[in-house]
Amino acid sequence: MNKNFNRRSVLKIGAGLMAATALTPSLAFGQTANINYWHTFTSQSEFAGLEEVMKLFKAAHPDIVVTQENIPNPDFMAKITAAVLADSRPNVTMVSSERFADLLAMGALTDMTERLSSWDKRSDFDDSRFDSITKDGKIYGLPAFSFVDWMYYRKDWFEEAGIAPPTTYAEMRDAAIAITDPSKGRYGFGLRGGPGGQNYINNVMEAFGSPVQQGDQIGLDRDKAIEGIAWFSGLLTQDKVVPPSAPNDGFRQVIEGFQTGQTGMIWHHTGSFQDIASKLEPGVEFGTLAMPAGPAARVARLAYAYNSITKDENADASWEWIKFWGEPDAAIAFLDKTGYFPASNSASADPRIADNPLYKPAAETLVFGRPQPSFPGLAGWLESVVLPAFQRALIGEATPEQAVDEMIDGLNQAIG
Amino acid sequence: MTSNPQSIMASSRPLSTWDRINPARYIGELSETRFWMYLLLLPSALLIMGVVIYPTLYGFQLSFREMRLNRPDLGTDWVLLKHYQRMLSDQIFWISLRNTAVWVTAAVIIEFSVGLIAALALNRNLPGTKVLAVFILLPFFLPNVVAGHMWALMLDPRLGVINDLLVKVGLLGGYKAWFADPSTAMAAAIIVEAWHSFPFFTLLLLAGLKGVPSDLYKAADIDGAGSISQLRLITLPMLKTVIAAAVILRVIGLVNSPDLLLILTSGGPGRSTQVLSLYAFQTAYKDFNFGYAGALSVIMFIFLMMFAWVYVRLSKVNQD
Amino acid sequence: MATLSIKGVRKSFGSVEVLHNIDLELEDGGFLVLLGPSGCGKSTLLSIIAGLEPSSGGDVVIGDRTVNDVHPKDRNIAMVFQSYALYPTMSVRRNIGFGLEMRRVDTSSREDAIARAADLLQISHLLDRKPGQLSGGQRQRVAMGRAIVRNPDLFLFDEPLSNLDAKLRVEMRTEIKRLHDRLGTSVVYVTHDQVEAMTLGTKVAVMKGGVIQQLADPQTIYEKPANMFVAGFIGSPTMNFLTGTLEQHNGGLALHHGSAVLALTDIEPGAEAFVGKQVVAGIRPETFSKGEGPSSLTGTVDVVEPTGPDTMVVLDVGGQMISARLGSRERPHPGEPMTLNVDTSALNLFDPDTGNRI
Repeated sequence: MNKNFNRRSVLKIGAGLMAATALTPSLAFGQTANINYWHTFTSQSEFAGLEEVMKLFKAAHPDIVVTQENIPNPDFMAKITAAVLADSRPNVTMVSSERFADLLAMGALTDMTERLSSWDKRSDFDDSRFDSITKDGKIYGLPAFSFVDWMYYRKDWFEEAGIAPPTTYAEMRDAAIAITDPSKGRYGFGLRGGPGGQNYINNVMEAFGSPVQQGDQIGLDRDKAIEGIAWFSGLLTQDKVVPPSAPNDGFRQVIEGFQTGQTGMIWHHTGSFQDIASKLEPGVEFGTLAMPAGPAARVARLAYAYNSITKDENADASWEWIKFWGEPDAAIAFLDKTGYFPASNSASADPRIADNPLYKPAAETLVFGRPQPSFPGLAGWLESVVLPAFQRALIGEATPEQAVDEMIDGLNQAIG
Repeated sequence: MTSNPQSIMASSRPLSTWDRINPARYIGELSETRFWMYLLLLPSALLIMGVVIYPTLYGFQLSFREMRLNRPDLGTDWVLLKHYQRMLSDQIFWISLRNTAVWVTAAVIIEFSVGLIAALALNRNLPGTKVLAVFILLPFFLPNVVAGHMWALMLDPRLGVINDLLVKVGLLGGYKAWFADPSTAMAAAIIVEAWHSFPFFTLLLLAGLKGVPSDLYKAADIDGAGSISQLRLITLPMLKTVIAAAVILRVIGLVNSPDLLLILTSGGPGRSTQVLSLYAFQTAYKDFNFGYAGALSVIMFIFLMMFAWVYVRLSKVNQD
Repeated sequence: MATLSIKGVRKSFGSVEVLHNIDLELEDGGFLVLLGPSGCGKSTLLSIIAGLEPSSGGDVVIGDRTVNDVHPKDRNIAMVFQSYALYPTMSVRRNIGFGLEMRRVDTSSREDAIARAADLLQISHLLDRKPGQLSGGQRQRVAMGRAIVRNPDLFLFDEPLSNLDAKLRVEMRTEIKRLHDRLGTSVVYVTHDQVEAMTLGTKVAVMKGGVIQQLADPQTIYEKPANMFVAGFIGSPTMNFLTGTLEQHNGGLALHHGSAVLALTDIEPGAEAFVGKQVVAGIRPETFSKGEGPSSLTGTVDVVEPTGPDTMVVLDVGGQMISARLGSRERPHPGEPMTLNVDTSALNLFDPDTGNRI
């Protein structure tokens, strides 16, 4: 109800404003600034959220026309690289934390430190929010929303089996074994072994005591990493609590597997909440949990989608657009459509977030969650070394030892 | 050049001042010389230099330099054969090379066979073949990206129609994750590729078949050649040039385009569908190592040139 | 070697019937020419005989075998196509021997047969070439070599000379005749060229609109055409058609055309019935001679065309143009009056209503 009311009222305001602008063109005095915005939104809910924010922005800034352009994730780095080389960059680009180092190194980003320090809403954001977009004291973006890692689980299945929601990796494995029933086509855990799975693989290694980055130190603790890979791949190879399609399962497959009742637990972030709620009843059929703790650490990422100025032209208009994402109105509208957590404190304190028990695990995670590691070459190493090496372990083509050795070799190549 | 009335007139009376400075006259005189030909070729030569030769050479020189976009600290110095040396000991390169060979060979063979069968069927001009032709050619009009996503869905282990069909027919015990199993991932990707591109062969072979006189088949009927012999001894030899051109074009296309595999498997699981084009793409756009990616592209370029040369030799296309 | 009979063969494409009830007989060793303008159905009939095209009804009998459902390769026939249909990717040797190769004749007897055929056609020196390296006449010989090498019961020729230039066509015509005399194999030969038909055929079937207009030896076709179509189609220049009234005359019959009276001799029995009626007289140009005679026509010279051996004269007789072939020494001038005598024994009478011979 709440949602509908909001949406309708926003539509009304938007429509009214549009009519007003049409009747009295003098309102849009001065010249109109055109900016284009590159983003990697994929799902329907994300698009709905983006449209909502754009509508609100249009009402607030009739003199700025935003053209959004969707760049699919797999093509993103290729496109932005080409755009930088050919100097045909977009005005504003959505930058995820793991791409920051590469984009900065190739000179795609603009220093926004001054603009931020003179912004009146800067105090809404904890300093830590800027950690993974800061280099040498210079800040290159403003968080638009957060990726708060958490997990979804089938509440009904857990109740049926009489088991409690897991808080550690060991409990999670036991629960997965308990609810797996191949005859019903049920698997305990939807492991993302395909595109995008690399981040979770890295998280598991870190949870077992092998963080890839510690301060300036980059490297893996071979033994701990092997333990992690053995446990994670073992969910498929030993325990068989994972669908056999795991080595090729990406975002869509993992979400669909959970939506269609194939898997009982999945790891993701809050951004998929509305997508899952569209198929399963929240609080009844599925629930949310904070990420379980590994033997050495409890790793849940707090990452942010930053908006960054990537072109000098119309930089003031770009800044207006970037700032707008930090306004509570925009942030809540976006959360409403998607489930992505706002990055600003004032928005997180909104009762619709604070009073919703399903969002509680996310709020907990905000306390212990940690940022993504960040160094040049990380994204490439994760995607083209860690993921295939782990896949080889998943399909039994390599032992965890071999997979980790491959990762170590690749890491040396990437940073060497 | 033979003399025309104007030139006779021009030479038979003294040149006026205007004649001497008239640019049209100079151009006219130039057009009679043998340099004219080269002058006319100049614009297109410049265009080819700019559009084809320069980027190719640029790619070549890239392969001899350090060029890592995310590592400005390494500079962009010449590194001679460093990238090529690395290739020799790069496991992934050799796996990709082997996979590329499998991928290209199998896909071309299937695409050619299916394309030929479709072309032969369409060439019979039976009622309804015109409509059928449109349907058969349809896959080719789909962009690779669309075809890839479509098949990824159809082969999906949860929602895929194909699994459903195979289980219902009884060929499969349960749903299979085609792209998650290294023993089926490459085969499934090849089938998707073949489905998408066989119309390329159909189209070219059909055009070739239209050029085979129907009298030849009548003569062969009377001579007692059955349909297999007719295909082997008349149709295929008559299509030799078309086949050679089509195969070379297709091989180039298959070697160079990573998009379908990028969508279906991203080279996985493990590295079981990693091919050179995908590896070069990832090296450039995920690792930002343009030097090594350049070296990989140069190797692909050399392999393709060698293939085209050997293939044309073997198929004796130039003989006729 | 075999006889050929076609019994009531029909062919239709959809609702269009292109061959109506064709009956034909060809004696063993005969040379049948199917002659007619394009679209008359002659090539379709040949394809039906070859088995390349199914008929819509009727029987094709080669020798004593009804071959309606027999595959072309089992009819023991050989065919020479207008396009020659040589296999472009094979050598001349393989082209000629292809039929034998497909019939799994062993290599040595195949080589012998090829050598004999090549020798007969004087193309032994071309055996290792590809068709693309041959002239039109040479290709024609290879096509014939491919036909004769198997000693078939029946040769089928589909306008084999029409792609050759005039001189070569005459040469090859003689060659085909010589070959037929030598081999004695029955031949069915399709052409639209009446000279080929007259020179080659032992029997000529003149076709039009899917119907055989006349089936006879060339002499009969020429001298006693069955109808005005055959009469007009055969002969160059074409037969003159003179319309007049048939009257009793001196105990015989005569044709009255204006003031001219042509006394008829060798009258066909049916002619009596047409006394007092309009008839069409068909007169070949060469049956005219200059000067007065028992049956003469007078008119004004319109055009004179000396051809060398003859002089063709077009005479205006009361508004109707008459062609006459006169001796080469005749050189009348246009505008002069002229009288021509007609040899009425070679005259044909046609019913103007049906066009049929009386």
